[in-house]
Amino acid sequence: MSSILIIVFAPLLASIIAGLGNRHIGNVPAKIITTAGLFISCGLSWPIFIHYLGGDVPAQVVPVLKWVQSGSMSFDWALRVDTLTAIMLVVITSVSALVHLYSWGYMDEDPDQPRFFAYLSLFTFAMLMLVTADNLVQMFFGWEGVGLASYLLIGFWFKKPSAGAAAIKAFVVNRVGDLGFMLGIFGTFLVFQTTSIPEILAAAPALKGASSIGFLGMRVDTMTVLCLLLFVGAMGKSAQLGLHTWLPDAMEGPTPVSALIHAATMVTAGVFMVCRLSPMFEAAPIALGVVTFIGAATCLFAATVGTTQWDIKRVIAYSTCSQLGYMFFAAGVGAYGAAMFHLFTHAFFKALLFLGAGSVIHAMHHEQDMRFYGGLRRHIPITFWAMMAGTLAITGVGVYHLGVGFAGFFSKDAIIEVAYASGTEVGRFAFWIGVFAALLTSFYSWRLMFLTFWGKPRWIQSEHIQHAVHDAHGHHDDHADYAHTAHDDRAHAAHADHGHDDHAHDHGDGTGGYHPHESPLVMLIPLIVLSVGAVAAGQVFKGAFLDTAAFWNGSIAYNEHLMHAMHEVPYLVKYAALIVMLLGLLIAWYGYIRNTNFPRSVAEQLGPVYRFLFNKWYFDQLYHVVFIKPALWLGRQFWQRGDVGLIDRFGPNGAAWLVDRGAVLAKKVQSGYLTSYALVMLLGLVAAISWVLV
Amino acid sequence: MRVSPLVDLSQYLPILIFLVIAAGLSAAFVFLPMGVAHLTGAHNPNAEKLSEYECGFPAFEDPRSQFDVRFYLLAMLFIIFDLEAAFLFPWAVSLDLTGWPGWITMMVFLFELAIGLAYAWKKGALEWE
Amino acid sequence: MELQASLSLIAPEIVLSLSALALLLIGAWGGDKTARMNSIAACIAIAFCFAIVAPRVCAGVGGPDAVAFFGQFKADAFSGFAKLLIYAGSVAALLIAPNYLERVGAMRAEYPVLVILATLGMSIMVSAGDLLTLYIGLELNSLAAYVLAAFVRSDSRSAEAGLKYFVLGALASGILLFGMSLTYGFTGTTNFNAISTVVAGGLSGGAMFGLIFMLVGLAFKISAVPFHMWTPDVYEGAPTPVTAFFASAPKVAAVALLARVALEAFGTQVDAWRQVVVFAALASIIVGALGAIGQKNIKRLLAYSSINNVGFILVGLAAGTAQGAASMLLYLAVYVAMTVGSFVALLMLKNENGDQLESISDLSGLRSVSPVLAFCLMSMMFSLAGIPPFLGFWAKLVVFQAAVDANLVVLALLAIAASVIGAFYYIKIVKVMFFDQPSGVVLGKSDGVHWALLIISTLVISPLGYLATSWFGDLAQRAAATLFLLS
Repeated sequence: MSSILIIVFAPLLASIIAGLGNRHIGNVPAKIITTAGLFISCGLSWPIFIHYLGGDVPAQVVPVLKWVQSGSMSFDWALRVDTLTAIMLVVITSVSALVHLYSWGYMDEDPDQPRFFAYLSLFTFAMLMLVTADNLVQMFFGWEGVGLASYLLIGFWFKKPSAGAAAIKAFVVNRVGDLGFMLGIFGTFLVFQTTSIPEILAAAPALKGASSIGFLGMRVDTMTVLCLLLFVGAMGKSAQLGLHTWLPDAMEGPTPVSALIHAATMVTAGVFMVCRLSPMFEAAPIALGVVTFIGAATCLFAATVGTTQWDIKRVIAYSTCSQLGYMFFAAGVGAYGAAMFHLFTHAFFKALLFLGAGSVIHAMHHEQDMRFYGGLRRHIPITFWAMMAGTLAITGVGVYHLGVGFAGFFSKDAIIEVAYASGTEVGRFAFWIGVFAALLTSFYSWRLMFLTFWGKPRWIQSEHIQHAVHDAHGHHDDHADYAHTAHDDRAHAAHADHGHDDHAHDHGDGTGGYHPHESPLVMLIPLIVLSVGAVAAGQVFKGAFLDTAAFWNGSIAYNEHLMHAMHEVPYLVKYAALIVMLLGLLIAWYGYIRNTNFPRSVAEQLGPVYRFLFNKWYFDQLYHVVFIKPALWLGRQFWQRGDVGLIDRFGPNGAAWLVDRGAVLAKKVQSGYLTSYALVMLLGLVAAISWVLV
Repeated sequence: MRVSPLVDLSQYLPILIFLVIAAGLSAAFVFLPMGVAHLTGAHNPNAEKLSEYECGFPAFEDPRSQFDVRFYLLAMLFIIFDLEAAFLFPWAVSLDLTGWPGWITMMVFLFELAIGLAYAWKKGALEWE
Repeated sequence: MELQASLSLIAPEIVLSLSALALLLIGAWGGDKTARMNSIAACIAIAFCFAIVAPRVCAGVGGPDAVAFFGQFKADAFSGFAKLLIYAGSVAALLIAPNYLERVGAMRAEYPVLVILATLGMSIMVSAGDLLTLYIGLELNSLAAYVLAAFVRSDSRSAEAGLKYFVLGALASGILLFGMSLTYGFTGTTNFNAISTVVAGGLSGGAMFGLIFMLVGLAFKISAVPFHMWTPDVYEGAPTPVTAFFASAPKVAAVALLARVALEAFGTQVDAWRQVVVFAALASIIVGALGAIGQKNIKRLLAYSSINNVGFILVGLAAGTAQGAASMLLYLAVYVAMTVGSFVALLMLKNENGDQLESISDLSGLRSVSPVLAFCLMSMMFSLAGIPPFLGFWAKLVVFQAAVDANLVVLALLAIAASVIGAFYYIKIVKVMFFDQPSGVVLGKSDGVHWALLIISTLVISPLGYLATSWFGDLAQRAAATLFLLS
């Protein structure tokens, strides 16, 4: 199983070569090295996964080196492979390899390609480090590594202020989660005296409700507080309600990054962590309740916001947030297998949706606002069909009795069913939320499809398109991506209100004379491959993920009873998802194809609600008032009063001033007169004598 | 190691007292008139008042007159050999105690002085013109 | 026989005396054209002394076997260690002088004679076991040094330096002599070991006075604050090779002598002098650092640097332990290398006419003109600032270590903090050399001797020097231990 070493370190090596080589080795070699590294990793990961599919394969640990030896704390750098890791390995390496390939086309005009590919590979390494962690500290290393890579990639176009701000926001919000995670790790070490994950998990069940711990001046159940702290970490990384605000903004990064990091892999790290530590969470029922509740709430919140957004990437971003909510509440009710299954299928169809959206954006000359799309079905058919596959998958199209369906059908239905089957209060709550969110999912997904691919072209109103058309008349188009995306949707809306038609070449068909082109082959191949995954992943792997304890083989807490109960739920529950999906499709069809004035009138009639949703439940504004303003105020106090006024004044500057004075004085005393020299000597003598005498 | 008995400095106490009194008195003689003059007298200096006073005449020349450097050279050489002579007396009377080592040591010393004299001679330090 | 044993112990001093006398006569009759030859002969004589002393240091000789003339003279390993450093400094002063002095037309035959006499004086100083020996050695060294400072008679700055040095030196000498007489008066002896025995029971007020006066007199020689005032003026005015000599060898001698007086004669009364030494140490570090900041002349800057370094050496003395003495010796060794290296580098700064450059601004952009020289000077500066991996760091480390082990934590902390100030001007020189616009005035070529000395000193203080630290540390430890042997 030493292939795991190659899987993990090939991306690192590629990243180092591409990153340090940068412009010295040029674009193409950097791209070849990183992409080849990922395809090697991917090629080696699938056999491992297939090996585990057989079931009853024990976990394996490949030691790399001794890491820390300090007092009672000692752990090695080791790569742990079990079923859970194997699943993550194929998800990460497959999506990453495809995203690398896709980026050849998407980033073709970018001047900084080696840096981009180095970051991508670095991210992949960190993510692999996270999922192969054998102890919590190593997991934290990977955790921070992906955070760093995410920061670097969100801010990849750092010349764009909004990208820099988004990168910082992602970093800072994640720090909040990381603090929780760190406290959780510290607490776990305090309680279990080890950071080794297998040892902790073995010891965890015995501690269920058995001990309490002082936390913030209260005595609380040990496992509850540990799990909640760890879950705070998971919330940050997986953008759960409260710590979700960074994810939509992260869309400032290049679209392949969104597909890899902010859809398929990094954001699922929280779910992975909860599943990895599932025996711990099983020992903390209250924490599980919180996980379920937060998951369900996020699921609903993100779905509602997703219905109102205009930016194609933001819609998918909220969709991701919402789907992560599904995973969490699945985990919360104890169906870790279902959570991982949804993670697995979601990785394929969400990456597909993002890459498809990227392809649309590429075709539309970096226009991201869906209001300026329309009628693209015929112009970019392959992208269209890929997006269609993704949409069918995310909306969960499938029929229970036929036993066929797209990937999302099996995983999402399993989650909804298991929430129903769990029988708990919060489980029932999650069920209803899940069903309603499925309706919203269906609505916003079809809304996206209809706005983009159906209807009449509305391209002429887009500034990007106008630029492109103007440029096409004259000079060579060498616009880099970042130069073009510096407009948020508000700006577009404003432009639209003032009527751009005044000075646009209206060809009467809304195209503005623009001809979208299908993306190059390197971008289409990943779409096709992922489409296959989106269509078939559920069908092929549902047995293993949902019904086979042997497959998991102890890598997660597998609740046989619950999984059995899941299959026994009423047919109405089993069909609930399909019904609401059809309902959502119908509403979307009516609102965006049949009667295009309908959404506007609804928005006007439900003005406050619409604004509430459109402004993302005012979370950003709330945080601005509650946290950012006081933090800035406090920071300014520390800066101006503390740092400048106190430390600088009496520290460096004060010392420098003193030294400066001293130097002047020393120079002045050195007058050059013999008599004064002798005087100083005698004074010194007198001083010495008086000192000794006194 | 031979350690001679401690010197009893208390015998010098009267001298110390005398010194202190002398210092006090002289200080009083110097500073008291200055203080009194400062407090009572008028202070109106002018160039005439501040010029040196030498037996009713202006000063004839700068008191810090220069000597020829050769004077110093000879003076230094004289002092060296004067001291040498002073050094020889105790040596001579204690030669019976110091014996041959004492004799050799002094001869070495004289030899070194001789070389020094030879050097000075060769360099022309003894020639006035 | 006692006399023969004593004579064999002072063999290096005899060699130096005879060679001084011989060279004096050769110089007088042969004229100034013998100057170069005399220099070489002087170097050989000193090297010979080096060869006599070195084995004794390695053997760690000490105790009664190393005492000559009834305790007046001690040829132990401690003095030997100091002598080796003194000889090294003297040889360097002899080697770098001819070029410089010839250019200013002052290369006389007396130069090597004076250097040898000064060396002889220092040799006696460090071996002094008695106040009288101490004084003879000190004066022999000082008188030679006064003349050396004014060696370029035609240069008014040199003459001024000599005069200042002489007047203040005479004052210090008087203070020292007064202290000695007080000490003799209150202890009844001039012998160090005997003084130590007498004061072991307690220090009378008079003896305390004597001690302080003596410390002040010696503090002048090592230019510890506040008896340092002469240093910048004399260092600047004296011919550069002489300054290099002043900054290296006599410092070693005076420090070793101070250690002897403090630790051997008054080692039983450490508390009596510790506070004064602590004050002088801190004051030297701070004033040395502050004074250097405003300087534009490199020689003056190096003068303050030497004051600064003396402060660190005194930290070792303040410890009052064998470890402290060993740390002083080690610091001195590194210091001599750094000082010689710095001054040699300074001598190598010449303009196209071959005239010496002394201003810091002349160093601008030296990197591009003479990279090797700039690199060596940079090593010196970093080492002086005590920045690892250069050996100057180790020197400071052992000194601080000794202070901390002697429970002088506050002193060590203050000294470390103050060393930051010093780092400023050392690193400023590096900045001027490496980052400023080239001034383009450093054009003159230097001969092989300078290069050799510079490279050797750079190698000594380079990280390579750490290879020798354990051996060297042992040597210094054994040498310092001989100070504490009663004989």
